[in-house]
Amino acid sequence: MYGVGGGGGGFNAPSTTAGRRRNPGDEEEDEEEEGGEGRVLEAWERAYADERSWELLQEDESGLLRPIDTKTLVHAQYRRRLLLRSAAAAAARIQKGLIRYLYIVIDLSRAASEMDYRPSRMAVVAKHAEAFIREFFDQNPLSHVGLVTIKDGIAHRLTEIGGSPESQIKALMGKLECSGDSSLQNALELVHGYLDQVPSYGHKEVLVLYSALNTFDPGDIMETITKCKKSKIRCSVIGLAAEIFICKHLCEETGGSYTVALDESHFKELLLEHAPPPPAIAEYAAANLIKMGFPQRGTEDLISICSCHKKIKSGAEGYICPRCKVNVCELPTECRTCGLTLVSSPHLARSYHHLFPVAPFDEVTPVPNRIQRGGQICFSCQQSLFNPDGQSNLHVRCPKCNQHFCLDCDIYIHESLHNCPGCESQRSITS
Amino acid sequence: MRFDLDGLPVHFPYAAIYPEQHAYMGELKRALDARGHALLEMPTGTGKTAALISLITSYSLANPARPLRLIYCTRTVHEMEKTLAELRLLFAHLPPPAARSLLALGLSSRKNLCVHPQASAAAARDSVDTACRRLTASWVREKAASDPESTPLCEFYETFDRAAAAGDLASFMPPGVYTLADLRALGRERRVCPYFLARQMVKYANIVVYSYQYLLDPKVASIVSREMQKECVVVFDEAHNIDNVCIEALSVSIRKQTLEGAERNLRRISQEIDRFKATDANRLRAEYNRLVDGLAQRGNLPISDAWLANPALPDDILKEAVPGNIRRAEHFLAVLRRLVRFLDGRLDTENVENEMPVSFVASIHSQAGIDQKMLRFCYDRLHSLMMTLEITDTDEFMHIQTICDFATLIGTYTRGFSIIIEPYDERMPDIRDPVIQLSCHDASLAIRPVFDRFETVVITSGTLSPIDLYPRLLNFNPVISRSFTMSLTRDCICPMVLTRGSDQLPVSTKFDMRSDPGVVRNYGRLLLEMASAVPDGIVCFFVSYSYMDGIVNSWHEMGILQDIMQHKLVFIETPDVVETTLALDNYRKACDCGRGAIFFSVARGKVAEGIDFDRHYGRLVIMFGVPFQYTLSRILLARLEYLRETFQIKEGDFLTFDALRQAAQCVGRVIRSKADYGMMIFADKRYSRHDKRSKLPGWILSHLHDAHLNLSTDMALHIAREFLRRMAQPYDKTGSGGKKTLLTEEDLQNMAQDGMEM
Repeated sequence: MYGVGGGGGGFNAPSTTAGRRRNPGDEEEDEEEEGGEGRVLEAWERAYADERSWELLQEDESGLLRPIDTKTLVHAQYRRRLLLRSAAAAAARIQKGLIRYLYIVIDLSRAASEMDYRPSRMAVVAKHAEAFIREFFDQNPLSHVGLVTIKDGIAHRLTEIGGSPESQIKALMGKLECSGDSSLQNALELVHGYLDQVPSYGHKEVLVLYSALNTFDPGDIMETITKCKKSKIRCSVIGLAAEIFICKHLCEETGGSYTVALDESHFKELLLEHAPPPPAIAEYAAANLIKMGFPQRGTEDLISICSCHKKIKSGAEGYICPRCKVNVCELPTECRTCGLTLVSSPHLARSYHHLFPVAPFDEVTPVPNRIQRGGQICFSCQQSLFNPDGQSNLHVRCPKCNQHFCLDCDIYIHESLHNCPGCESQRSITS
Repeated sequence: MRFDLDGLPVHFPYAAIYPEQHAYMGELKRALDARGHALLEMPTGTGKTAALISLITSYSLANPARPLRLIYCTRTVHEMEKTLAELRLLFAHLPPPAARSLLALGLSSRKNLCVHPQASAAAARDSVDTACRRLTASWVREKAASDPESTPLCEFYETFDRAAAAGDLASFMPPGVYTLADLRALGRERRVCPYFLARQMVKYANIVVYSYQYLLDPKVASIVSREMQKECVVVFDEAHNIDNVCIEALSVSIRKQTLEGAERNLRRISQEIDRFKATDANRLRAEYNRLVDGLAQRGNLPISDAWLANPALPDDILKEAVPGNIRRAEHFLAVLRRLVRFLDGRLDTENVENEMPVSFVASIHSQAGIDQKMLRFCYDRLHSLMMTLEITDTDEFMHIQTICDFATLIGTYTRGFSIIIEPYDERMPDIRDPVIQLSCHDASLAIRPVFDRFETVVITSGTLSPIDLYPRLLNFNPVISRSFTMSLTRDCICPMVLTRGSDQLPVSTKFDMRSDPGVVRNYGRLLLEMASAVPDGIVCFFVSYSYMDGIVNSWHEMGILQDIMQHKLVFIETPDVVETTLALDNYRKACDCGRGAIFFSVARGKVAEGIDFDRHYGRLVIMFGVPFQYTLSRILLARLEYLRETFQIKEGDFLTFDALRQAAQCVGRVIRSKADYGMMIFADKRYSRHDKRSKLPGWILSHLHDAHLNLSTDMALHIAREFLRRMAQPYDKTGSGGKKTLLTEEDLQNMAQDGMEM
């Protein structure tokens, strides 16, 4: 464990003295150092940086302790992420791949048992993979996910590619043990074999959660990478330890993203970045008509064997494929019998918003005025935007309709609602 | 971009400039203004070369009174090509009228330039030279004139010769930048010899890029660099080892094989003499007469054949006639025989002997009857004789040349040298391998003519610390000597001093500790832990081959090596060049394909000097121990003594300086540009001491935090993990948050204005 053990002399010295020890001539250098912007937290500080529990409390007039709200802080972080994302998609209309076929490759080699993430890399990866799968289906209801693990240098397909989050998560949690080496090539070859059969309108993606720092391959991985590139599989890697050249190369070649997690929260953040659909590559631009079925719930008295679990179920528990009348338990999925894509209309609607995202709102700096009457309440929740002491809170404004919103609503509108209430109400007035 | 530097308009080929480049140019300009020498240290990867050439070029464009004459010395052909590529970028950026009149070219040996289909096929450098001479020597060409059927000639050389005679060589070479590949292409296209063309055009070129030897080694310099004018600006790039290059240029060692070879050569020469006596006695007589007139006026020797030159420095050669008793070929041969026999006798000794040149010459005089003056003329006399005898395969006669080299040096210099005779190698006392070493102790001897001859000499490198020692070693007075640090957008190097193993016991390669199994195991554990935490390539440097062999053996026995192999493949440098190249190739392959690899190498070896481990080829470099020189070596002891007596440099100071610059050189391999990142571990408790640490270059020191000075293995591992994660985050090139590391034209204008207002 890293600590003060061993009594290293001068080990705790503040980092600024490091600057002073140098050539006395470099005065401007010293100032730069002391700007403190690049200062790294010491190990013992770091653990508490996230949860400074004592600072979260505040005494009120009557001497009671109450938590101060960290809303603005959280919001600032959120906005930074939002802006970053919208900056990437700066060009107004980017075609997005809405029907995604994603294989999540989880590295369960020896390195995944390392304890630098608590309790272990493997546990952390599994936990967040679960959250990711849910989020993924929430954002991409038309898409499909499969799981692959690497263990002892061999890649296994844990689950078939499918549209149900529950079965995927169950399969993942049952298989959590790690050993042996990892092989990126084997995993890619396996995934390539499966993804090659995917219909042409689907976007083929691989997301590798890679713990190891090397790969033990049976052949030339470069060939596999070219193969993946040729079949237009977008490979992304999230590393848990350090940047590896071959992963970077793989992502660059196939148009994916390569990121390395700093810690658990960063890992979660990076993982969730893969949930919204990526911009489609130009070659996919060809418009395709896809046949889809919109099945209805069966009636109570219809008893049939469901095609997914081979169990007798009443019709109310499942859906009936409109083409072949077979019973399926969950949507969205592909009909086992006739291969028709089965969705419900809300799924389609939920995918739609990615194409027309709500523009990020502008921040309005808090001004201590009461003259600006229009900005007093949040347009969406009708809460006052002012503190009891007359200071206006930090809030945001939609650039299109110029309505003001509070921070909570800002997050709600962008994350869940995907429509600006201000703009929508204007439209209803004009039309 | 174009900007104004203290009133000098500077043309810079890139759109933005690093602040340290700007500062570097400022210092360089001051040195040029003062017409003095400069010593500048700036880390690699900050664009030294671009800054240097663009400032010097801009300087002479702005001052028509000082025409552009730049001699740029590099260490390797690879660096030469890189410099020329930079030059090409710069020339493309210069205003057209200036760019159209400038000529820049690289010069290398025949091996790199020859385009003759047969001659260039030879493998070794000497055999290419020999093959070339067989086709182009003046007597071969005379013979061909009378007998064109049976004597092959080099058509490329013939074209060159005709053009040279007509004086229109320039028509072959319009102004521009010529890399070695360009020269070869030009040679093939115009059917002209690129080597001789380049050698002739050096006189007219504005910028010449070549190797150190062309200026420092008197044997080569007198041929190639004779005609350089005083106004030239001379740049020594990567010059941290310049003192060693200077010393090597004037050092000779003679072994048993050399003497045997020399005997063979002498027999062959005497046969030749007999043959000539029988067929063409006039030649020998003519030579005799010429020698009476003195070697200084050997104007009648064809200049193109000047392939041997005196190993002593030009100013030290006396312009007088060759002593009478070696003028006749047979007499000279007898003198050489006596000399070889004398050396052979000295080589038979059982004891180590250490002598000054004066007493050595005295003993030669008493035992072999050769006086100092005869010794001094040996080399020129041999040269003349071989010319007369029309010997072209000079590589065969290497041995006798070495002997004459030796003789001339001891005949010329009395100070700064010593002769050391060792019957066996200190480290392997059982194997008898006697050697006579004439070792030069004074680096300033070889470089002095350079400093005297040229107005401005710039010595620059990434590691010149401590910067005040170089002027003393080389005995010159720089007007500017400065060390620059690197401006970085992030802390992309992470030096650490590891003093303890995971069991908290100190680690060191100190003599009394190095074989301690605890230390060996701690080093092994360190490497193992690092191999599991660092991706792609790791480079390890050991203090010597024997130490590396020992420790790798112990690791193997302890099973550590097998554990390491689970994480990464292991490659080892050997003294054999081919083997090492192969190992390096495979090492790179293993890094590329993600398997990960470790390269074991030796400080002061080939790899430490010339091979870059940038990007993923070297994410971590571990320096096991302090690479002190072998302190019991007689040569080193003699040199230390000389340094103390002559330059008042303490032994300890010099040893530490030398060890630390080697260490810095080794770890510096890992980072070659600002976008790159890497860690450096100095694994020895002695590095934490101030006297050692302070001798590291400033750019490493500035990143060496106090907290990283006294680490144990597990702490280092933790820091490494953190560092690698931090560095894997997306890299912001321009530098955000106030730390500007790329200056555009506008920024520079603002800077200039700020300066005016202040």
